[in-house]
Amino acid sequence: MPVVTVFSGTFCNESDVIEELVQRTGYHYITDEHVVKKAAVLANLGEEKIRHAMAAKTSVFNKFTHEKERSIAWLRLAVAEKLSEKNDLIIDGLCGLLIPQDITHVLRVCLIAGMKSRTEWAKPRQGSSQKATLKEIHQSDLDRTMWVHSLFKVRDPWDSSLHDIVAPTDRMTVPEIVDLIEDNLRSEVIQPTDTSRRAATDFHLAARVGVALAKEGHNVDVSARDGAVTVMIHQNVLMLGRLEEELKAIAAEIDGVQNVETRIGKGFHRTDIYRKYNFDTPKLLLVDDEREFVQTLSERLLMRDVGSAVAYDGKSALEMIDEEDPEVMILDLNMPGIDGIGVLREVKRTRPEIKVIILTGHGSDKDREICMELGAFAYLQKPVNIDVLSEKLKEAKEKMRHNRNGLS
Amino acid sequence: MAGKKGKILEAATILFAEQGFNETSVADLANATQSAEGTIFYHFKNKNELFVAILENVKEGILKEFSGYMRQCQFESGIEMIEGVIGFFLFLAAKKEQWFRLLQRHYPYEFARTNKNCRTLLEDIYNALVDLFEEAIRRGQLDGSIRELPERKTALILFSMLNGMVWLKFHDLYEPATLYEELLAICHRHLTNGAAPTV
Repeated sequence: MPVVTVFSGTFCNESDVIEELVQRTGYHYITDEHVVKKAAVLANLGEEKIRHAMAAKTSVFNKFTHEKERSIAWLRLAVAEKLSEKNDLIIDGLCGLLIPQDITHVLRVCLIAGMKSRTEWAKPRQGSSQKATLKEIHQSDLDRTMWVHSLFKVRDPWDSSLHDIVAPTDRMTVPEIVDLIEDNLRSEVIQPTDTSRRAATDFHLAARVGVALAKEGHNVDVSARDGAVTVMIHQNVLMLGRLEEELKAIAAEIDGVQNVETRIGKGFHRTDIYRKYNFDTPKLLLVDDEREFVQTLSERLLMRDVGSAVAYDGKSALEMIDEEDPEVMILDLNMPGIDGIGVLREVKRTRPEIKVIILTGHGSDKDREICMELGAFAYLQKPVNIDVLSEKLKEAKEKMRHNRNGLS
Repeated sequence: MAGKKGKILEAATILFAEQGFNETSVADLANATQSAEGTIFYHFKNKNELFVAILENVKEGILKEFSGYMRQCQFESGIEMIEGVIGFFLFLAAKKEQWFRLLQRHYPYEFARTNKNCRTLLEDIYNALVDLFEEAIRRGQLDGSIRELPERKTALILFSMLNGMVWLKFHDLYEPATLYEELLAICHRHLTNGAAPTV
């Protein structure tokens, strides 16, 4: 039987979905906490230390100690052990993402909802202020963002390339979502095969090698194929021969390793030193609390191409302007906290050179007038034609660059 | 290397070490060696090639110095060899200051990212230096003067400590001479598990 992993945002009605899924499938249910416990036992380390690897905050000493990577290596091994014990599993939490994609009998489900629904769901349970709730949601989203970024170098935890199913819990009922998952569980492609079982065995082997290397402070990626282990070196190390010898010696000690190969990863030779400081700087800031999951996939793909950062409310948008230095901003008008017009006013006051495109679902003519007067670059209604949007984006960027060059 | 080419190399080593690669123009080099810019380009195709030649020269120099030292010394044990290597390393850093100053600049490592020759030469230089410590530790473990410990890691750590001493000196941070005795004592305590010095 296949395995289900569930990765979800907080306050997305995820526990109801999972409860029904567990009931209907009768699968064995485990969470990050089970994995953490197991990892702590395997590593002979405190649970707190292991758990900390899943928090966005990293100690500054990590550069020299690689503590976080060490904990992740143990978590990976714990997941691999859980996988090798049973197949009919539901793994709920962040750890499911540690399972490599070539283990094809794993169905990767992501549960997420728009910010409005999440804050509403949070209210009756928590009884705290909207501000506190938003803060909690942002913190948990940040943890997930950093987790996904550290594993896949992807900035968006809800990115469809990471999951088999992204289910918007605010647009589907619990039974509908569970139906969808169950349908897919019956699908031919998700059934265990000899190849996928071998992939699981290799995952376990790679995880054991990973732990042995992490224990010695190495921060490398390990994969295995039929007992042949590949160690990927990402950091630029000048005394490479020395490092390779050591990596090979450690890996070869592990039971079941047939041979070891080391490879140089993409980030190894950084030809352009400036890339170190500038890389991934998004030139586009997308501010939208009502992210329409799944349906707006093509829109998001477009954003990704231009390299975008996403903020879900006005306050974090303004913070991100300072951090990310965007050229163009796409702004929704209706948001909790500081609304779109407030953001626009503030941006135009402090950073008039940023081109702001308003994209709204419920704007009135009056809104349009106000926005254009405040200095918006364009005012577009949802649903937006992707070509129109991308044309506007291009115009805005050109204008911005033109101005910048004119100034310098 | 004799003649004009050798002179250019020598002057360029000092200039690159003292004021930096990017900060040194071909005109500076021509001035320092009292030769025409054309002569420099006759011997070295460009500044980068000149830099690689310098590193080659530094590498050979370091290897030669150390093998000369090792040949004239008769060490009784591995721990003695460690002490000898530490002493000679600091002696050489003082004697051939320009080599070590060059190696402590940022440019060689930046250049190594794009230039394979530079990369290989730097790797060779550092390997040669660390290998000496490693060899001494292995020898000490065979003759019983050094206890069981991971020789490769220990060698790198010892090397880093020494390199740090050179850093203190070159950047006018502190006078490492005042630390020398304690450095030897630390190595001794660590490598021999606290046993009394052999000498």
